[in-house]
Amino acid sequence: MSLSETTPRAQGDLEQRRARRSVGFGFFLSELGLLFRRRRTWAMLGALAAVPILIAVAIRLTDGGDGRGPAFLDRITQNGLFVAMTALVVSIPLFLPLTVGVVAGDSIAGEASASTLRYLLVAPVGRIRLLLVKFAAAAVFCLAATVTVSLAGILIGVALFPVGPVTLLSGDTVSVAESLGRSLLIAVYVTVGLLGLSAIGLFISTLTDAPVGAMAATVVLSIVAQVLGQLSQTEWLHPWLFSYHWLDFADLLRQPIEWSSFGENALLQLAYVAVFGALAYARFSTKDILS
Amino acid sequence: MAATAKWQRWVPAVAVPAVVAVVVTGGAFAAGASADLPEKTAQQVLELAAQADVQTFSGTVEQTADLGLPDLSSVPGGSSSGASGGSSDGSGSGDASTDSTVSAALELLTGSHSARVYADGPTKARVQVLDQLAERDAIRNGSELWLYDSSDNTVVHSSIPADAGSGDGDGAGAPEASGTVQTPAELAQGFLDAVDPSTDVSLGADTEVAGRSAYDLVLTPRGSETLVGSVSIAVDSETGLPLSVEVLARGASTPAFSVAFSSLSLDTPSADLFDFTPPEGAAVTEKALPTDAGDGSGDHAAAPQGADAHPEPVVTGEGWNTIVALPVGADSADLTSSPLIAQLLTPVDGGQVLQTALVSVLLTDDGRVLAGAVPAEALQSAAAGQ
Repeated sequence: MSLSETTPRAQGDLEQRRARRSVGFGFFLSELGLLFRRRRTWAMLGALAAVPILIAVAIRLTDGGDGRGPAFLDRITQNGLFVAMTALVVSIPLFLPLTVGVVAGDSIAGEASASTLRYLLVAPVGRIRLLLVKFAAAAVFCLAATVTVSLAGILIGVALFPVGPVTLLSGDTVSVAESLGRSLLIAVYVTVGLLGLSAIGLFISTLTDAPVGAMAATVVLSIVAQVLGQLSQTEWLHPWLFSYHWLDFADLLRQPIEWSSFGENALLQLAYVAVFGALAYARFSTKDILS
Repeated sequence: MAATAKWQRWVPAVAVPAVVAVVVTGGAFAAGASADLPEKTAQQVLELAAQADVQTFSGTVEQTADLGLPDLSSVPGGSSSGASGGSSDGSGSGDASTDSTVSAALELLTGSHSARVYADGPTKARVQVLDQLAERDAIRNGSELWLYDSSDNTVVHSSIPADAGSGDGDGAGAPEASGTVQTPAELAQGFLDAVDPSTDVSLGADTEVAGRSAYDLVLTPRGSETLVGSVSIAVDSETGLPLSVEVLARGASTPAFSVAFSSLSLDTPSADLFDFTPPEGAAVTEKALPTDAGDGSGDHAAAPQGADAHPEPVVTGEGWNTIVALPVGADSADLTSSPLIAQLLTPVDGGQVLQTALVSVLLTDDGRVLAGAVPAEALQSAAAGQ
């Protein structure tokens, strides 16, 4: 994962980052800068944007479907704004967790493997703030990833299909402006839903110096959680899985909006962030940093 | 920092999960906390429930069924999304539509469902069954009745005759249609109407449902023949509105079927909730209601009907042991030919049995359907006796 940019440039970044670290917020900004200057980040966002584009082009070329496929797919030909919803339904199980797992899993282990971690931690203030900043950066990436899918879906939908008032799940119709507002809410919902996974990835990332291992473990966990969520034998466990509310974003497409799942999702993710944040702190603050 | 012992840094890692666990279990205990209500006898609570006159409310209803039926979401055509797939790729043949109707009805009897219910007077009501990524709506506004299914974007429209529906006084004026969830009030009314000397009525500990304090009315069948162990109804202490109904099978400790409000507001719901215009692009079907079954209460006995209408059921036994027998003739072959139904049936002497934790249904070989909250053997002997 450490492509050519890490070693030579990391030293330069390091100088900047150590200078700004005392400011705190500056450290966060420089971390964001590092994240969004990486080609890998843009490649992942590009791949996510390709999901709605592929869906829209495929529907456009085949002129609708036969009623099969993911939810909302058959609505696309009537209203292009549904491309974003369909793309989210498709991306949530795998693509979004995959990219979030890469960013979160890489957060600490990536620095360790690039031998920049110990330089970052030379100053006496460090480990807690480093964890917080890494988590905040991962959260910003969650938002960027979700907004990318939504925005690409809306744009390609507008380009290829007629756009008009949107029919909600309840059968009521809302204006284009309100539906865009709801799309934004959905992006926020999905972002919040991915925070628990980000915290898990951050914790796993403190366990190892091999970023690939941490990324893979995070992605595998997200798949395991979803498989457990499908089995009726583990029904008692379902409400405690971080993936439990992922597809409930559709509650924002009802009339009136059903807010309860938004709150439950936020509470669940908060619990995951608290638990795995504490674990990450314990592990990272007691770790011998050798690289 | 360096002086801090290593083990101390693990304190939050232990403490935070512990705090989360305490908050979670504490929340569960708080929900079950009993309220302090004025003393009432069981009879007084029965009267309170009978006098309930809540016409206007909105709330969320949670329904859980554990009747011992297989999980139909794994059966093709069983889940709601699967059902839509089945009806749209089938070329409209009668079998396919029967199958999807039956599976939609059965699907409501398995697993958990949640629905939002809005009512404003006896003639304005809306029920929204909240499925994952989909929704089924039933809206009644005056004489208009709309059914909307978002998974296949279909609308069914009916007009209710002006005189029908004035009978459902108790705020349970929700549009009744196959494929919607019943409110606790509707379900409880059925049980309360049936309270007779064969039922022992007692009061459990005061409870709290949907944030409202409630009396817990427990109906226990006196006989030992029925499959029903007890029915517990939470009656709102203020209005008498039934807030939850739990039906336990005999000998079971967890409910086989429960319907409860998870939130309830007695404010008038917004009027535009009852205004329904079919969305653009939806397939609208007009459907005439059977003239006398407008309120759908299932009370067919009083109906003088033509030859092709519902035949009159034969009722034997009384109280909890009631068995209803219905000659269905050719329809029964239709039913058993559906692979979904066939999967649920067990062949027995003289027919096939659908056995759930609370209800048994016997389809006899000579085209009768017998049903009751009794063991299958009782149905068989009833079938033989007729």
